Amino acid sequence: MNEGIAAFLNPAQMAKLNRLALNSRYVVEGTLAGRHRSAQKGASTEFADHRAYMPGDDLKRIDWKVLGRTDKYFVRRYQDETNLRVYLLLDRSGSMGYSSSPDLPSKFKYACTLAAAMSYVVLKSRDAVGMCIYGEKLDASLPCKNSFKVLNNSLKILQGYKPSKGTAGADVMHQIAESINRRAMIVIISDLLDDQPEIIKALAHFRKKLHDVIVLHTLDPVELNLDLKRGAEFEDMENGERLIADPRSLAKEYKDLMGEFIGNYRKSCAEMKIDYRLVKTDEPIDTFVRAYLEERKRLSR
Amino acid sequence: MLVFANPVFLWALTAAAIPLMLHMFQRRRTVVTPFPTLRFLKAAQKRSSSRVRFENILLWLLRTLLLLMLGFAFAMPVIRTTAAGSWLSRTRRDVAIVLDASYSMNYELDRGKVWETCKDAAAAVIEGLLPGDRVCVYLAAETPIPVIEKPTTEHATVIQAIRALTCLPGSSKLDEAVATALAALEQQEGRREREIYVMTDGQSLPWQGFRDAAKQDETVNNEDLAVITREQRDAVSFFAMLAGAKTPENSWPADVKVSPLIMLSGQTARLNVRVGHSGAAKQITVGVEIDGQERGRRSVTPEADSETGVEFVINGLEPGIHIARITTPPDALPEDDEFLCLLRVRKQLPALIVGPQSATRYLKAALAPGAADEGVRQIDAAELDSVDLRDYQAVFLCDAFPLAGQAVIRLEEYAHNGGVVIVFPGDRAEIAAYEDMGVLPAQPQSVENIPVEVSARPLRRIPNSPEQIVNFNMSLPPGTVPTIALKRVMRLGEMRESAAILITAGDDTPLLAGRAVGRGRAFMFTVNADRDWSTFPLTAFFLPVAHQLIRQGAGASIQPPHVVLGTQPPVNEVIPEHRADDIISTPSGSQLALRDTGNRTYIIENLSEPGIYTRAKAGADAPEPVMAANTDRTESHLIPVAPAELEEWTSFKKLFVANDPEELIKLVDEYRNGRSLAEICLWLALLLALIEWWYANRILRKQTGASEKLVVDLAGKVVT
Repeated sequence: MNEGIAAFLNPAQMAKLNRLALNSRYVVEGTLAGRHRSAQKGASTEFADHRAYMPGDDLKRIDWKVLGRTDKYFVRRYQDETNLRVYLLLDRSGSMGYSSSPDLPSKFKYACTLAAAMSYVVLKSRDAVGMCIYGEKLDASLPCKNSFKVLNNSLKILQGYKPSKGTAGADVMHQIAESINRRAMIVIISDLLDDQPEIIKALAHFRKKLHDVIVLHTLDPVELNLDLKRGAEFEDMENGERLIADPRSLAKEYKDLMGEFIGNYRKSCAEMKIDYRLVKTDEPIDTFVRAYLEERKRLSR
Repeated sequence: MLVFANPVFLWALTAAAIPLMLHMFQRRRTVVTPFPTLRFLKAAQKRSSSRVRFENILLWLLRTLLLLMLGFAFAMPVIRTTAAGSWLSRTRRDVAIVLDASYSMNYELDRGKVWETCKDAAAAVIEGLLPGDRVCVYLAAETPIPVIEKPTTEHATVIQAIRALTCLPGSSKLDEAVATALAALEQQEGRREREIYVMTDGQSLPWQGFRDAAKQDETVNNEDLAVITREQRDAVSFFAMLAGAKTPENSWPADVKVSPLIMLSGQTARLNVRVGHSGAAKQITVGVEIDGQERGRRSVTPEADSETGVEFVINGLEPGIHIARITTPPDALPEDDEFLCLLRVRKQLPALIVGPQSATRYLKAALAPGAADEGVRQIDAAELDSVDLRDYQAVFLCDAFPLAGQAVIRLEEYAHNGGVVIVFPGDRAEIAAYEDMGVLPAQPQSVENIPVEVSARPLRRIPNSPEQIVNFNMSLPPGTVPTIALKRVMRLGEMRESAAILITAGDDTPLLAGRAVGRGRAFMFTVNADRDWSTFPLTAFFLPVAHQLIRQGAGASIQPPHVVLGTQPPVNEVIPEHRADDIISTPSGSQLALRDTGNRTYIIENLSEPGIYTRAKAGADAPEPVMAANTDRTESHLIPVAPAELEEWTSFKKLFVANDPEELIKLVDEYRNGRSLAEICLWLALLLALIEWWYANRILRKQTGASEKLVVDLAGKVVT
């Protein structure tokens, strides 16, 4: 049995993802030099501004041309470039275990694969990736490292998780938001079937911390359309509640409600400048990631 | 009252619970299906609950009703039309069948003649009776004709009698036939259910008696005037089958007027034909054949349901009796497409001159210029007893008085039967001799000599007054004033009834007076036929006046060119010169029945066959045509009666109107056994099944349409 990243992505998929990069739309704070703009001024080729010379400054940084014009000492400052730290928040609540068909993966399985793909892209860009797994609580917080070895270990750990019973997505998100001090990129992979206002508040919390947030709203196609042919007694996967219903007669109202639910998230995310994407579990992972990242790259130019 | 023919199938009504049971059963079999969250399902259920409940209840109702209807249909519910319907169907009944026998029943429809349809329907009604039910049959003609007079239980015999019936040529009166049939039913013992069936073609004419009675009811409010009383109408069940065409089309020659009535050889005859038409206006070709040879063909376009006239001019008819046949194109009612009449053409009008040679020589010379003219005969008064006056159109009495009493009676009878008696006075008789002759226009008063100085008198024709019965239309030559010289004149007393002075000599002296006597005429001159009293026989007007008088009288006494069936005319009125030993044959060859009413007057008893009647005289070589009989054409006006009118006119409490035998049998069945609702239930079930199928599919389609997939584009946006 495959372990680590090989358990989620095959070589062909990885080949497709090789040249992609996940760019932050905002400045981030990293520990290593990288391809992302840093909040710090440092050593790079991109000029930032001048400042008055202070004793102790490196003489090499004095702008002699300015001294010639003004007889004053000014030091040239350059935009610092750092690496990106990406935190993947993976929801393993009870509802994530849903799969409408044996041919389709459950939402949790799909989310894991999506996390692996995103991690692979991030590491390939020499950025650091970390992972937080949560259900009814924060189950695991895996370190944010720029290492395939660490990633493999993280994914091995992830393989051991199954969807939990309940969910506490908003609380966990607040907790994680508080724990990440430097500006980073937060990728949330979840079905967001929680208290919607609380989730939106949690997202706002991330934004307040100046993180670049991406929400990958993962849903099963049947969840969207209620495309079931026969009546059944439905059981809530999180609280065990049951309901007898005929999906054919409810489809119209269900679709309207689901549309409203998704629309609210979309609207709130747009207001908070959060990148929101709806992901259906019947879409191929590599295709989605590739399309998404290319579109993101195009829009960030 | 609702009863069920198959009550055991009422158990099938429990099937109505199947939809509900299925619904409940289906709920129990639901499979537990994990679902991420129920919050949207709950909210959707809350939103759609009223709609879904409504749809479910409607579907449940439709399915339950569908099964109920099927259950009812198998149980065969029957509504009794009367409160005691359950035992009515088993009770004994007396039935009278009235068949309209008018000739319009021969109208040809797609399924055959109406008459045959009606006979079939009558047979079917009888076949539907139970053993022991009694039935009688009447034909509705001008007078009701009993076929089976007393109600009988021999149904097969009655059907056989109905099958043998033929349609009659005349019209019919249904009210009298129904009243007769009702009376026959009422004479039966026991209180049985009474039913009357009238089989007719649905024309309004036979119902006229009912309509008139209804009007009398309205105006006089006296029910005794009606043939059928209110109690009778309420007690009997009346079934009418109107089997004729709803928009009939028919054209027919309605009447023919021949002028002049007396035709002489070489004269032009005019046939004025009235052509009737029922239905929308159309062009009709009318043809005339004389003795089988076509003599004319004209097209006319009468208005819808109207009559129009067309005239034919016939020339070159030889002396003798000619058969004229007027035809219209063949149509659905062929019985009235032909009209027959006889044209009698004479060489000369036969006249008898009675009197001595001296008094009659001018008249005989005027009327019979040839020495051997057979048309005019002169005899003495004494020979009058040996002469049959019926051989002559006119009898001239020239100085013939006094006459024997028997001779006077014969002359009066002759005048009453249509002959013309023309009297010229003379010197041989006293004034009193004329008193016995009661048919004269006036009683002679005296004979007066005219002085020579006032003897010249201009002749003047007295114009006919409007109410005058005796007409004299000969016009005197224009620009001349005919004058005679009077030597002696007979003074007349007061004019008798129906008498008038026709010509005067001068202002105050009547020359000619005339009187209508029965069907004939009597004329009296105030001068004799010789030149002793006046110069009148010597004038140029003597002959025309004599001819005019003969023709006038002859016109009154001539037999009509055609007669109408259904009448009982005296033989002398329709057949000329009839003798007791003559044999009159009907068109079919049988001998015509005559009835002696006494006084040597015969009446045709039953004139029922249209066509040409012939007479075989004793010793004659071949029979000659003597009479043309045609059906009364009032029945040809085909105006359908509406069921609503029938209801209004007949006022039967239990009136059932059918348009064909099938409908009649259905009505009878419903009346006797009640009305079955099984068929209606099945139709309703079919309708409900269709509605259920349509509605269920509509709901399903709507649901499919509502669950159109939410499509997510590459940007992650939901596209609906």
